[in-house]
Amino acid sequence: MRPRAAGWVALVAALVAAGCAHVPAYQRGYLARPAMAVEDSPSERAFDKTFSAKEAASGGTSVGGGGCGCN
Amino acid sequence: MKAALALPILALPTRAGAAETGEVGFSTLGYKERGLIKVTEPLLWLRAKLGEDWEVAASGAVDVVTGASPELITNRDRASNGEARFAQTVTGASINDRRTTADAKVTRHFGDFALSVTRAVSNEEDYRSRAFGVEARLDLDQRNTTLTAGFGRSADRVRSSVDATLDAPRDTKEYLLGVTQLLSPLALVQSTVSVARGRGWYNDPYKLTLSFYPDDPIPVLAPDQRPDHRNSMAWLTRYRRHFPGAGGTLQVDYRYYRDDWGIRAHALEGAWEQALGERWSIRPALRYYTQQAADFYSPLAPEMQPAVQSSDQRLASFGGLSPSLRVTLRLESGFVVEGTAGYLHNAAALHAGGSGSPAFETLRAIYGLLSVSRAF
Repeated sequence: MRPRAAGWVALVAALVAAGCAHVPAYQRGYLARPAMAVEDSPSERAFDKTFSAKEAASGGTSVGGGGCGCN
Repeated sequence: MKAALALPILALPTRAGAAETGEVGFSTLGYKERGLIKVTEPLLWLRAKLGEDWEVAASGAVDVVTGASPELITNRDRASNGEARFAQTVTGASINDRRTTADAKVTRHFGDFALSVTRAVSNEEDYRSRAFGVEARLDLDQRNTTLTAGFGRSADRVRSSVDATLDAPRDTKEYLLGVTQLLSPLALVQSTVSVARGRGWYNDPYKLTLSFYPDDPIPVLAPDQRPDHRNSMAWLTRYRRHFPGAGGTLQVDYRYYRDDWGIRAHALEGAWEQALGERWSIRPALRYYTQQAADFYSPLAPEMQPAVQSSDQRLASFGGLSPSLRVTLRLESGFVVEGTAGYLHNAAALHAGGSGSPAFETLRAIYGLLSVSRAF
């Protein structure tokens, strides 16, 4: 990774760490709601492919998924 | 060849603080592009815990693609003022392609540490992919912070339904680092950087450029020629914030992408998931995308052919908007039914800051998905 990109990553990480509070387990009721999930469901991943088949950019969510000759 | 993409490995959502459960589901995705391409994709998935420390997940899907695909870019037509007009032309017979794909993931938990291995396979007439991945996850501070690191590798074979002699390799290595952080009892953020290094065959054997020049009666017919490598970086950040008073959740995703083909792209999606009582919820969303063209993109084939040149408009400068609406129903029996409808509009005029590629032909498509799942 280039130094500039690494710097942005570090900055975001620092901002995140500075802005967060310790949330005990008994206060995580809202965080457990399905709408708060940050990982895509299988259906949402199918939508990712719908977009990436028409765009040059892709990725950012996981590794090891392989490729396809998608139109 | 139709452009190859990275297939995301199955990753069922893990909610912060929620009890782990098994889940099985089935969905069907449909996509229709202005009378040209139609895609239907049934998808089946399963996730289950085995004892205290093991977890398995698997999915399988079949893509059925029918219709006709633009394969030739030409400047044969001219406007009344003599200016060249570019057009996409469908050549050859309609396509009828089927792709089968399957993936599996096994996870072992060691207290706050988890190790996962994945395997993915994909087969179609002109493309075969075999991939594996390893992912490590470390929970810190009672899962207030989660660190993720991953490595993946795919070994693909590129073939062609119009050229039996084509059987070329494409190998890709991927690296991922991510952090998920609880910000408050109502908000969290995830940021992930992935880097991919690819080597091999990237040319699309189905794409051609036919260019006419005023001083030459013989047009230039150029095949699609791309570099034999592609190194890219994608940085994805996701923010979730629940508003208890409104009963809704704000979801914002932003991804920055760049590669050594010269492509720079931004994708921003905002959504609001609104609960309607105990069982129903709706989720309107709007996604905006913009990309800068690849260095070797050109709708004109130069008379002196360069080493690399492609008129594939997926490598052009353009922008896109996609509104969508998802409706979810959670039944008492435990079944969850989801329906999503969306519209995709890609155009040169939507490129950020203007100056999209003039030859870009506007794309309009509709898509929808119906999903049924059940936790157990």
